[in-house]
Amino acid sequence: MNLQLTLAARYLAGRKLRTFLTTLAVVFGVLVIFGMNIILPTMIAALQINAQGAAGMVDFSVTHVSGEAFTADLLPTIQAVDGVRAVSVSLNRIVNLPADFYDNDPARPDVLTALSLVGVEPEAARSVRSYPVTAGRYLEASDSASTVISQTLADSLSVNVGDTFSIPTVNGITELRVAGILPPRTQPGNEEVLVTLAQAQEMTGETSRVNTIDINVETTAGEARHAEIQANIEASVGEDYHVGTLMAGTEMFASLKLGQAMMNLFGVLALFMGGFIIFNTFRTVVAERRRDIGMLRALGASRGTIIGMILAEGLLQGVIGTAAGLLFGYLLGAGIVKLAGPMLSQYINLKMGEPVVTPALLSMSIFLGVGVTVLAGLLPARSASKVTPLDALRPSVAEVEFKRRAGTGSVIGAVIVALTTLALFSGNPALIVPGGFLFLVGLAMIAPLLVRPITNIFGRLIALIYAREGTGELAQGNLTRQSARVAATASATMLGLVVIVAAGGLISSLTVTLYDLMRKSLGSDYLFIPPSIALWNSNVGAHAGFADQLRAVEGVEAVSTLRFAGSIANGQAVSLMGIDPATFPEVSGLHFQEGSESAYQALADGHALIANSAFVTAAGAQVGDMLELITPNGPVEYRLVAVATDFLNVKITTAFISQADMQADFGTTEDVFIQLNLAPGADRAAADASIRAIAVDYPQFKIISGKTYFQSMKSQMDAAFAAMYFLLAMLALPSLIAMLNTLTIGVIERTREIGMLRAVGATRKQIRTMVLAEALLLAAIGTAFGILGGLYLGYTFVSAMASIFPLGYAFPLTGVLAAIAVGLLFGALAAIIPARQAARMNVVEALRYE
Amino acid sequence: MSLIQTENLTKIYGCGETAVTALDHVNMQVNAGEFVAVMGPSGCGKSTLLHLLGGLDRSTEGKVSIDGTSLAEMKDNDLTKLRRKRIGFVFQFYNLIPVLTAIENAALPVTLDGVRPAEARQRAAEWLERFGLGDRLNNRPDQLSGGQQQRVAIARALVAEPALVLADEPTGNLDTKASDEIAALLRQVSKEYGRAVIMVTHNPRIAAYADRIVFLKDGKIVDETLLERKNGDNAKMLADKIKRIGD
Ligand SMILES: Nc1ncnc2c1ncn2[C@@H]1O[C@H](COP(=O)(O)OP(=O)(O)O)[C@@H](O)[C@H]1O
Ligand SMILES: [Mg+2]
Repeated sequence: MNLQLTLAARYLAGRKLRTFLTTLAVVFGVLVIFGMNIILPTMIAALQINAQGAAGMVDFSVTHVSGEAFTADLLPTIQAVDGVRAVSVSLNRIVNLPADFYDNDPARPDVLTALSLVGVEPEAARSVRSYPVTAGRYLEASDSASTVISQTLADSLSVNVGDTFSIPTVNGITELRVAGILPPRTQPGNEEVLVTLAQAQEMTGETSRVNTIDINVETTAGEARHAEIQANIEASVGEDYHVGTLMAGTEMFASLKLGQAMMNLFGVLALFMGGFIIFNTFRTVVAERRRDIGMLRALGASRGTIIGMILAEGLLQGVIGTAAGLLFGYLLGAGIVKLAGPMLSQYINLKMGEPVVTPALLSMSIFLGVGVTVLAGLLPARSASKVTPLDALRPSVAEVEFKRRAGTGSVIGAVIVALTTLALFSGNPALIVPGGFLFLVGLAMIAPLLVRPITNIFGRLIALIYAREGTGELAQGNLTRQSARVAATASATMLGLVVIVAAGGLISSLTVTLYDLMRKSLGSDYLFIPPSIALWNSNVGAHAGFADQLRAVEGVEAVSTLRFAGSIANGQAVSLMGIDPATFPEVSGLHFQEGSESAYQALADGHALIANSAFVTAAGAQVGDMLELITPNGPVEYRLVAVATDFLNVKITTAFISQADMQADFGTTEDVFIQLNLAPGADRAAADASIRAIAVDYPQFKIISGKTYFQSMKSQMDAAFAAMYFLLAMLALPSLIAMLNTLTIGVIERTREIGMLRAVGATRKQIRTMVLAEALLLAAIGTAFGILGGLYLGYTFVSAMASIFPLGYAFPLTGVLAAIAVGLLFGALAAIIPARQAARMNVVEALRYE
Repeated sequence: MSLIQTENLTKIYGCGETAVTALDHVNMQVNAGEFVAVMGPSGCGKSTLLHLLGGLDRSTEGKVSIDGTSLAEMKDNDLTKLRRKRIGFVFQFYNLIPVLTAIENAALPVTLDGVRPAEARQRAAEWLERFGLGDRLNNRPDQLSGGQQQRVAIARALVAEPALVLADEPTGNLDTKASDEIAALLRQVSKEYGRAVIMVTHNPRIAAYADRIVFLKDGKIVDETLLERKNGDNAKMLADKIKRIGD
């Protein structure tokens, strides 16, 4: 093996714990980036398979870009396109089933969590697809409440030709009679419930509308002709329609993308910290191995050889850490896919396949993981190459070198800190976010300058504590003399704590704002919750009459409903929520970032919308702008009157319009979410009984009280936050161990001095307290830095969130207290080993140590 | 022509009031195969002299020439190569690389020179066996005694077949028995293998193994003595001399 690699491997193996901990930081970063980025493509693949499964044998499917239903006026146009052989319209709707809908047994896992309701014109449908009925008969145009299903579905429902089964619809539960049975289903995706178009329109409330036009084209000789026909079709339907496989899950893509972005940010932070920790470790490594390096130089190693040696160490760590990160990342990704698979198929009706690893992701993860470590080793390697042969023979030179370098560094550091502070006040997220990271770098560089004032402050404190020992001043003196080493230790501690404080800042801001929002938007007495929240288009809601029935119940004061339609504005997919401007503010509410409650009146006046900040950011819109919404009837102009968000749609690009507009422009009157308030002094028991009696026909809604829902959401969120804290604490660990490292080195460097102290009569206890005092001082400095940096970084996170969801920054008192506790605890813990080592030192040996 | 020679070699550390003249116009020369001991009180500039001779440090004034080439004119990389090929070092604290085995440590200079690993090990093994460490090839430094470590260091100094071996207090950290063994070994290096050896020591008994003694005081050469091998107690004579010079 090559000499540099041999040396690197041996040195690393000689310090197993340290190597392990520093490598851990890299492992973590790669793990997060790799693992999380496995999950998204896997979900996308699943979505595509679902869409393809639905498309079946059809050559092309035409859907509206918004995903909404439309009137089939286009049909003759498409039919006239050269090459088109057969056309069939259909209304496809995913019907999410409430838990235990068919088996009524909470203990048994549900076999069916969603169905695809497919309404077709029986004859036309046969012209694009074959329906080889094996029992009973195929659908007839005059059929009502009849269906054709596959053998598999019939088996899981235990029905046969002539039997009936129920399905939730906007009109309550509908019974369908099985007219015929198709062969067992082989394609992935949901089981289909085939009914006549009229039946499907009735069941979904989409009067006289369809959402898919399936097209079969002439059997073509080649790809080129196929593409030509597709182009012809595209030209004939215009821009508002999409030709191809079904557009499914645009809504879900948005929230997946967001989650991915957050995890990537976390991964980058982890890698950044990993790089910093490795940088720090290498700096101490170079100081520690000055003699070895000097000796190698004396023996004829060139500067390049030394650089190569240190870089080889970084490379080894990078490669091993990255490999482990990839492995664990894959396990994490695959594990989540496996674990979440059943849950996802339940809630968002998605069957996940095997985890997908793209070559691009693999190479990027490797590039980042290895790159960061090598980069982190670069500066220390350079300074190692400057070690002269004489350094092997004289111990004092490197310290001088260390100090001189610290001088220029702190000037640059001061400039960085000043600039990033300016960035903070600029309020511009594009500046603040990179500023947060740079601020940490600057703080680490400026550290040597700040060591003296900070040690002076804390030194007095420590001197007071150890007044009788007379060692406090000694410890303080040691620190001010070696400001560069102290700075290295302190910045390691700082990094660990920065994360805790920053996370604290983000979490406290999130909790305050989210809980407030939750109380506001979900504070009603009753909530009618569909199976899937936030993925509105796969829920079957209720027709408007249901809400009216609820309004009529004695003791009900107000009922507010949400309706859903997909659309596109400024090229950005947007979930439109239809609200009743009069009742919505009474029962629910929005959290306004721009504009005020008066916006509801603008909605009532018509063609106005309130958008959430996720949308405003994504679409680059401003209050007062006129936005063109793509509707099934063509584009319609809406005025953006306010920016506000509710709890359920926080993460998704969403806009609120009046239900009147939604009915006129999108033809939707289906309520997918209902909130209800009782009048003060109403007979609650009686009202509850009547409400539940009415709701029996609509099992798709889960009825719970706002308070209960709030509690369950809160505990879910608390658990999520705790997990996040835990993840971040894992990041803090290696950097706190890095502090132990530098502390130990500090003791080794002063071996002779400690021997001298012992020789002139210092007791073991005094030596121990001295080292301990020094460690506590260091920890205090690191903690002070950590809190400073953490507050900044936390603020950075909060402002980075602004584009998605503006938070009020809340001071993280718990985070700060936790950081102080952890910092000092680790300081004391980290001192135990070196302190014992120093106290045990043999006086004569120590004095001989050069 | 002598192997190595100095001309008015002067080294001043620091500047202004704190300047220390460690070497003051030193002129000396050493021939191939010669064993020279440098003696003198602590702080007289012995180590500084050795460092300058070995190209580890640069002089303030005057020059050092090896094989007639002046070191002052060489670039860092050329000096590095010169150290690798022509000079071997032995220090008081052995300065072995702790994570490498005896054979790997001994092979370092040739490994650094790009010799194939197998051959480098072969050459290192030969030297270690000559020095009685044949059964210790794969031990790490912390598994060896001080004397054994110093022998590894001497093997390392010789593995690249240098013309000159510089040893700074090679016995300073050893007991009497091990010291004698090391000094004898260095004499063997000079006589049997024909290398020039320059050894710094303040132990008269160890210095007595050399052919010639150079006495330094306050950075200047104050005396030079050729040792007779035939009779007399050289060690005692040197002890007397150093006492006189020290006063
Ligand atoms: N790097 C240095 N900086 C300043 N003074 C030095 C340095 N190295 C050696 N000296 C001084 O030069 C003089 C000679 O030192 P040295 O050659 O180490 O002596 P010796 O090896 O004979 O004990 C001493 O006074 C010493 O203090
Ligand atoms: Mg069940």
